[in-house]
Amino acid sequence: MDTTRRGFLGAIGQVTIGAAASVAGAGQSASAEGNDVPHWGMVVDLRKCIGCQACTVACIMENAVPEDAFRTHVSVYELVKDGQDPAMVMLPRLCNHCDDPPCLPVCPVEATFKAENGEVLVDASKCVGCAYCVQACPYDARFINHETQVADKCTFCFHRTQAGLLPACVETCVGGARNFGDLNDPNSEVSKMLRDNEVSVLRPEMHTNPNVYYIGLDDVLDGRVAGEAAYHPEMADTVSHTEGL
Amino acid sequence: METQVHELVGAVHDAAWQPWAVQYFFLIAISVTALLMALPAFVFGKSTDLRTARLALMVAVTTGITAPIALLADLHQPFRFWEFFVYTHKSSWMAWGAWIVPSYVALMLLFAWAIHRPEFHRMGQDDWRFAWLFRLFSLGGASNGFARPLGMLAGLAALGILVYTGSEVMVVRARPLWNTPFLPLQFAATGGVGALGVMLILERMLCRESALEATLNRRLALALALVAALGMGWFAVAISGVSPVHSEALASVAGFPVWQQIALWGAASVAIPFVLALVLPRNTGLITGLIAIHAAWMFRWTVFMGGQAVPKVGSGLYDALMPTGVAGLMGVLGTFGLWVFLMIVYTTFLPWADASPPARTSDQAPRKSASPQEI
Repeated sequence: MDTTRRGFLGAIGQVTIGAAASVAGAGQSASAEGNDVPHWGMVVDLRKCIGCQACTVACIMENAVPEDAFRTHVSVYELVKDGQDPAMVMLPRLCNHCDDPPCLPVCPVEATFKAENGEVLVDASKCVGCAYCVQACPYDARFINHETQVADKCTFCFHRTQAGLLPACVETCVGGARNFGDLNDPNSEVSKMLRDNEVSVLRPEMHTNPNVYYIGLDDVLDGRVAGEAAYHPEMADTVSHTEGL
Repeated sequence: METQVHELVGAVHDAAWQPWAVQYFFLIAISVTALLMALPAFVFGKSTDLRTARLALMVAVTTGITAPIALLADLHQPFRFWEFFVYTHKSSWMAWGAWIVPSYVALMLLFAWAIHRPEFHRMGQDDWRFAWLFRLFSLGGASNGFARPLGMLAGLAALGILVYTGSEVMVVRARPLWNTPFLPLQFAATGGVGALGVMLILERMLCRESALEATLNRRLALALALVAALGMGWFAVAISGVSPVHSEALASVAGFPVWQQIALWGAASVAIPFVLALVLPRNTGLITGLIAIHAAWMFRWTVFMGGQAVPKVGSGLYDALMPTGVAGLMGVLGTFGLWVFLMIVYTTFLPWADASPPARTSDQAPRKSASPQEI
């Protein structure tokens, strides 16, 4: 039931590649417990993320993400608390595949939908490219793909999980920070991680019921991060942003 | 515990609603508020408002045609627009808008046609090169008693536009600057300011009647006072903490000097034409009109482009001035170019200066009036 690349490699001597389906928990776990269909979720253990961006690159390669956009990436912050030594903190970001996704009701043509396993997907053949969903997403997880001219986002690598494989970002994660599996299955690794650890979600005040959880997330990073930005456009390069009045 | 955060690696997100969207919201608000200003004279027979109503109808028609074209340009898949009508998603304000916009444009154009029909008929009877065209336009008759119900329906559709455009933006919780109940009212009030601004410019260029200029300037002062009251109300509820969503909206931008400059600029754009229009209502129409147009446009630019420059999760600001570069600028200029073209067509070919309230009886005798060449 390992859901990380490291666990997968450990098990590779015992199982065939075809058995990767059971590694991902696809198709078997839920039915084994007599639950409904699998409900995919991700648990990101920030203590293990080293900010290598291998997930970012794997996602781009797997999903042909255009140069000017990301379906997932790792934000990197330097935190200085009470004048102590600075700490480097990584924060992988992706679509949270919310159970109450704000991007869904705003779509004027019902191109955005919630799939059976909980993924929030876009029917590219239906999308008119109005970008209303891009505005509604509280996580900045959507974008207009300038090659396809439709809304684009993380799919939890739907094409891979359908084939019993892990999402590319999980498959490639060096430190084992990204864990993926069936939240309906109490025996899945992600369910155990949720039980055994204190977890947080991004932007809890939005009440979107996200399916991406974080272990070790600092409170100052769970919303809009108030601090010195990495990017300084011409019109806003004077000061760091301090949240509040 | 004080924590300092420095973002070292982050992603920058492009503005997904581009300058064409600003143009749409700007032009459609001008169109619907102008149409509502045309109704007292043309539908309810308030004859003292007739000259204002003629200008208002001209503004409503020309901006009402330009606005949906700008909207279509902002779609990344414009040729899929038909899907709006096949897959209407009832929970989306945009889906409702897809029905309201064409309804408004159709009713507004029918209303304008009905108002001008007697003149079309008369011009079709004259002996001149394009008489055949006006016979076609008039559909062989001069009666226009149906203009009143059409005007009322167009007015209802105009209110629908104000409700849907405001709500569509207001419901976006992910953008604090948009997610404020004041926003639909501000859109409507600044739309009125923009419409009066355009009418003042047209009055100076086409009519040059001092009394009409003064009337329009007084109304502009009233509209600007409303905009200022809404702005101060917004700020008061935000800073007092009475409304958390307004407080969040203010907090999302308050720390940035560029936003403080924008706020000052916006306040000046309201205060200067207000004082001028109130103190010197005559011979200031050009300047008050231009500043009023600027104020209405800038409000939308700030809300849409500035709002999208505020990251939802990252730090700092994205590009706030012209995020789409020259293409965005060309979009803005191109939309205005189309409007200018329509204005030229309207003032050249349509007997706008003779537009009058519909007669109470049907098929009245055509009146003698000036041809467009004489205007």
